[in-house]
Amino acid sequence: MRKTPMTNGLRAGIQRGGIELRHLLRNGKEMSGHLINVVVALLVAAYVSDDVPGTRTPMSHLVLAGFAAYLLFQIGLINFPQILVTEREEGALLRLRATPGGIPAYLVAKCLLVVVLAVGCLALLLAAAALLVDGPLPHGQGDWLTLLWVTTLGLLAVVPLGAAIGAVLPNPREALALIMLPAMGLLLTSGVVFPITSLPVPVQQVAAVFPLKWMAQGLRSALLPDAARTAEVAGSWELPMVALVLTVWAVLGFLLAVPLLRRAARRESGSRLSARHRKAEQSGALPT
Amino acid sequence: MTPKHTSAEPVVHARDVTMTYGDIDVLHGVDLDIHRGEVLALLGPNGAGKTTTVEILEGFRRRSAGEVSVLGTDPERGDDAWRGRIGLVLQSWRDHRRWRVAELLRHFATYYPDPRDPAELLDLVGLTDQAGRQVDRLSGGRRRRLDVALGIVGRPELLFLDEPTTGFDPEARHEFHVLVERLARDEGVTVLLTTHDLVEAERLADRIAMLVGGRIRACGTPAELARRAAAQAEVRWTADDGTSRRERTQDPSRLVWELHRHADGPIPDLEVRRPTLEDTYLHMVHREADGTGGDADEDGDTGADGEAQVA
Repeated sequence: MRKTPMTNGLRAGIQRGGIELRHLLRNGKEMSGHLINVVVALLVAAYVSDDVPGTRTPMSHLVLAGFAAYLLFQIGLINFPQILVTEREEGALLRLRATPGGIPAYLVAKCLLVVVLAVGCLALLLAAAALLVDGPLPHGQGDWLTLLWVTTLGLLAVVPLGAAIGAVLPNPREALALIMLPAMGLLLTSGVVFPITSLPVPVQQVAAVFPLKWMAQGLRSALLPDAARTAEVAGSWELPMVALVLTVWAVLGFLLAVPLLRRAARRESGSRLSARHRKAEQSGALPT
Repeated sequence: MTPKHTSAEPVVHARDVTMTYGDIDVLHGVDLDIHRGEVLALLGPNGAGKTTTVEILEGFRRRSAGEVSVLGTDPERGDDAWRGRIGLVLQSWRDHRRWRVAELLRHFATYYPDPRDPAELLDLVGLTDQAGRQVDRLSGGRRRRLDVALGIVGRPELLFLDEPTTGFDPEARHEFHVLVERLARDEGVTVLLTTHDLVEAERLADRIAMLVGGRIRACGTPAELARRAAAQAEVRWTADDGTSRRERTQDPSRLVWELHRHADGPIPDLEVRRPTLEDTYLHMVHREADGTGGDADEDGDTGADGEAQVA
């Protein structure tokens, strides 16, 4: 019996994703890296005690919704590209390129890994916050639905973009430096941990180009009471705008990711890989 | 989908392959045939174009010109079915560090239509005891044997081995050689081996191809290569006056016979040293370096190439 490459790639990808997920859960160092975000969010939420200015919503709820958005953002745009770059440098991409159906399976596995990780962290944050610091949860079906679509669209906006970034970044070390700075900038300017209206208008306008602000706003609309919308820039949740911006980023991400990943896979060969290893060893960046 | 090719058709067939990066010509017309079940070693100094040649055959690089067929397909258009008939063992792999040995092998078996049994394969490469180990805890030699296992899990017809024993201790190297011989002899796997280790090439290869200055300068069995390179045997003995003597000759048997005719009895310390592959190799590389580039002694080389194709 001959298996078609498509179903075989999907099957191998799901198997691969499951195995990688198990490895991640067993890896204390990497897991604590993800859990620390949740812990920081809980500590900040426990520390702030004011209300969001002009509303009766606790500031901690705004902070938690913002951190929830940032979790998705970070996993898609920082952790995911780093995984891709590291595995490319170790030769996993080359091995899968040399394996029939390997690249589709690899992408399926990575998407599975990232989505499960992101949704898992989000669920953990919201559950832990609700239990420990009286955190926000959606009220009613409409809010749950909003949480679902904002999370889905938010991941669609950042994961393909993360794949594109991972495809072009050089080695893992430089990769981290190159993505961390803009990500931190967006974390501070997107109104994630304090109301965006407290920032100068030009900064707000710049942040509004990027997906993080809209992910945070969308999650606030799902998690905070409707009355809290008065603290938003437009005085409303602007959900159509949230959907529009995130969709544009998702489309842009896909348009970039497909050719860039294809190019990255096509460029892999044994000699290029060893040349990069030699370079990395000389700079002491890679353990032999 | 995967018809068995007749043994007459070579597994690898390359004619006049050239490769140019910008202004630099790396390959100036490589001709190479590898037949089914054969182990061919590709030798050559660094920068001679070995890697480029192999990567063109593996389908990882686009050639500038020339004709290439690997398992009946142009590698540039190789699809998944074609990939499944090829195995690769590269020295630069450090991937899947967190996976366990058996887990990784079982996973890669799922990509192929008719994989080997992972447990049997572990036994074949001598890693049964390491089945539950994490890949990054394996020693260098074991890691490479795992790479070999991954390279042959899909029952490839053609296996590329890229400097497979670099960094091995002598025992690991020996075990690896036994494994490759077994694959070639018992399973009819065709092997293209690149190496700097001339002893390894001589031990494993049915034929050796020497790539110097972007061309295959010679191709044949080690004995044929020695003949072609006109490398001479060396005869050593101790003369009657007690001095040690040495002489280079094309015909060591005649020299020894003549020595005996003039001697009263056994000749002390008599020794005939055949030209080694190393002698042949160095001779060819130096001939290339002495001539002003590759084109100065065009005539002689084209002759050698012509012979190589017949062999």
